[in-house]
Amino acid sequence: MRLNSKFYWRGVLTTAAFSLSLLVNTSSHAEDAGNLYNTTFDVNAGERYFERQCSRCHGFDAKGDEETGAPDLTGRLNRASTNVGIYNIIREGIPGTAMLAIGANLPEAQVWQLVAYIDSLSTDPANVNLPGSAQAGNSLFTGTGNCGDCHMVNGRGGRQGPDLSKVGERRDPEELLNDLLNPHEDVAPRWWTMRVVGSDGTLREGLRMNEDSFSLRIMDEDANLWSFSKSQIQSLERVEESTMPSYSQTLNDSEIDDLVAYLFSLRKEN
Amino acid sequence: MKRITILFFILAAPFSVLAQEEPFQTVITPAFSPVTWERLLNASDEPENWLMYSGTLDSQRYSKLDEINTSNVSELEMKWSYQIPVIDRAETVPMVVDGVMFITEAPSNLVAVDAQTGRVYWRYDHDLPEDLRICCGRNNRGVAILGETLFMSTLDAHLVAIDARTGNVLWDKEVADYEAGYSKTAAPLIVKDKVITGIAGGEFGIRGFIDAYDPVTGDLIWRTYAIPAPGEPGNDTWSGDSWKTGGAATWITGSYDPDLNLIYWGTGNPGPDWNGDVRLGDNLYSDAALALNGDTGELVWHFQFTPHDVHDYDSIQVPILADIQYQGSTRKVMMWANRNAFFYTIDRATGEFLEGKAYASQTWAQGLDANGRPIRVPGMAPTYEGILVSPPIVGATNWYSPGYSQQTGLFYVTSFDGEQEFFKRDEDYEEGERFTGGGGRYNQPMDAFHSSIRAINPETAEIAWEFPIMPRSSAGISTTAGGLVFTGSADGYFFALDAATGEELWHISLGARVHAAPMTFSVDNKQYVTIASGNVVYTFGLPD
Repeated sequence: MRLNSKFYWRGVLTTAAFSLSLLVNTSSHAEDAGNLYNTTFDVNAGERYFERQCSRCHGFDAKGDEETGAPDLTGRLNRASTNVGIYNIIREGIPGTAMLAIGANLPEAQVWQLVAYIDSLSTDPANVNLPGSAQAGNSLFTGTGNCGDCHMVNGRGGRQGPDLSKVGERRDPEELLNDLLNPHEDVAPRWWTMRVVGSDGTLREGLRMNEDSFSLRIMDEDANLWSFSKSQIQSLERVEESTMPSYSQTLNDSEIDDLVAYLFSLRKEN
Repeated sequence: MKRITILFFILAAPFSVLAQEEPFQTVITPAFSPVTWERLLNASDEPENWLMYSGTLDSQRYSKLDEINTSNVSELEMKWSYQIPVIDRAETVPMVVDGVMFITEAPSNLVAVDAQTGRVYWRYDHDLPEDLRICCGRNNRGVAILGETLFMSTLDAHLVAIDARTGNVLWDKEVADYEAGYSKTAAPLIVKDKVITGIAGGEFGIRGFIDAYDPVTGDLIWRTYAIPAPGEPGNDTWSGDSWKTGGAATWITGSYDPDLNLIYWGTGNPGPDWNGDVRLGDNLYSDAALALNGDTGELVWHFQFTPHDVHDYDSIQVPILADIQYQGSTRKVMMWANRNAFFYTIDRATGEFLEGKAYASQTWAQGLDANGRPIRVPGMAPTYEGILVSPPIVGATNWYSPGYSQQTGLFYVTSFDGEQEFFKRDEDYEEGERFTGGGGRYNQPMDAFHSSIRAINPETAEIAWEFPIMPRSSAGISTTAGGLVFTGSADGYFFALDAATGEELWHISLGARVHAAPMTFSVDNKQYVTIASGNVVYTFGLPD
């Protein structure tokens, strides 16, 4: 049996000690409190408010926006590690960035509902029980799974795939499972393959490090870096697929569960 | 105190004598001179200056300068750069008057620099409240000038008059209440003895308008609402009271035809953007071109590009006016590449639709009927679950200026072939809160979509050539008598194309996204071209 039908969430969000004074606190800066507004109703209300006020920059799914530069809010947040931190950013904005403070007249409850929604977007590992063994997954990753041939973890491994040292912060277990089974489904442009015939007629193939209107840069399978001016190449082919194979046939269910457990354990604190 | 005074005389005396004998040598003629309406009217005849947002009243962004041309543009080199101190999006188009350049900065500041060196004369920092209501970043796109006074919009929905020689504030008027969601980002337009200016806030349930102000006193002379009130023609195109919060913001600069005495101005989306259920009807005059009497502001004609828009397809594009050959005779036309992916050629005297075709990817309309009204594809309105539609919310193009070349007769536009899932949500209007009724989500990375600079023949609405770029650009365009099209890209390039063929002739990597349109000018008979990239304003010229 595979993880997607087996792993379960431990239930409601983390509970914490709250101060009743929070309810009547109208200060614009929260310093030491939790979030009382964290029921399903509050999360839904926060989501509606997010869609209305925040999605223009952060995306309707809160996954960020390439053009506005607004960050993805569905994983670990760079600027806030607690609900209070999220609250303070919403209330005060981030100076020097496009993140403006929310209207001062917005009721406290509504801000905390927004916090509850943003908090619900990330997966707290303490709330997740996975069927696999992270230790066994680690062995598989570096051993017979050969994952380390292409992926680095904490400075060790290959260069032909994304660095996975902190992948557990940005991908939840379901996404990781899908990455292993359907690697072509959601491929970032950085991992597309480019086939370039240069001015000398030589075909070079490699991962798409970067491409713009006038030039492109690739890394070939020997990790050589190549830079081309588009005006000086004969042809260019873009393969919008992943070079990673699907592991649905090569690993059994148990092994995949172990691998997911290992990958989900990879985060900064570990 | 007495000793200080004596000391001053001792030190100053030799210098004052010297000043009489040897006047300051590096300035041959004083920089800057007053800009009369006559000068604005004939701005194309003094191409050494860039006297308004779009260069000339017809907004062609075509300069008669040709020192930089197809044969030598590849030799361009940077002459100076100016660093904008406040980090945000620089969407400014600088203005140049007799060797002085005026640059607007985020959020609502203005600086005057020497156009040859980029060194500062003065700066004006506008005080802003902390609780601004702005939809899409802190920016300002430029200023207007009349006489010795500059006119600037500010994010708190004020219009400010500033002395061009010193940066001193002459007057500061509230155009609308920023706490109700109004803001201002666009350069005003001078028409005769009036300052014409629009308003932003289409995502906050405002009621759009176009204003005319007295340049001396700042008094409001007339206001024409972009949404008719009850009893006025067109109000019945809004169900219930939806006209009160219907948007139709006027957030980009328009154009003017002195012969017809008509002001042309675009209007934005109806609000809420993505939920049309609460504003049934065509929603006049949202997503339209308005032609207003140049003296009274009275609406003379309108052309609505997207009736009952539910995709945020603002008609916030700069109208380009030209007299072109159309079906064997000269016709006064207005050219318009719309955010909705269709290009239109319209008779600008009457508003008659002449030509129109899709110039970019679109899935929402089967085409245009004989009057230019879109024939909708059923079932493309946003839903609660999301529906894929092209173009996406950002549009096939947007507010960034298109261009027109008098040499080639072609219209140039930055275009995007993208798509997006559109969602509908139910929202109640609350003053000062966003009022959009949904949103959008890309289901592919931006690099998966096609972007380009497209040249369009306005007589046929056919694409003459295209130059691919990536990713989606929000840079405007300028053209020159040197046979060139200048523009920028989101990947931080500034480049020149052959206006006739689209061939790339020169590019330079500036390293930061270009949100602005280039402009060109000359000082001492030497041509320069300027563009903002990131937070830096760069000026290029040929080697000395």
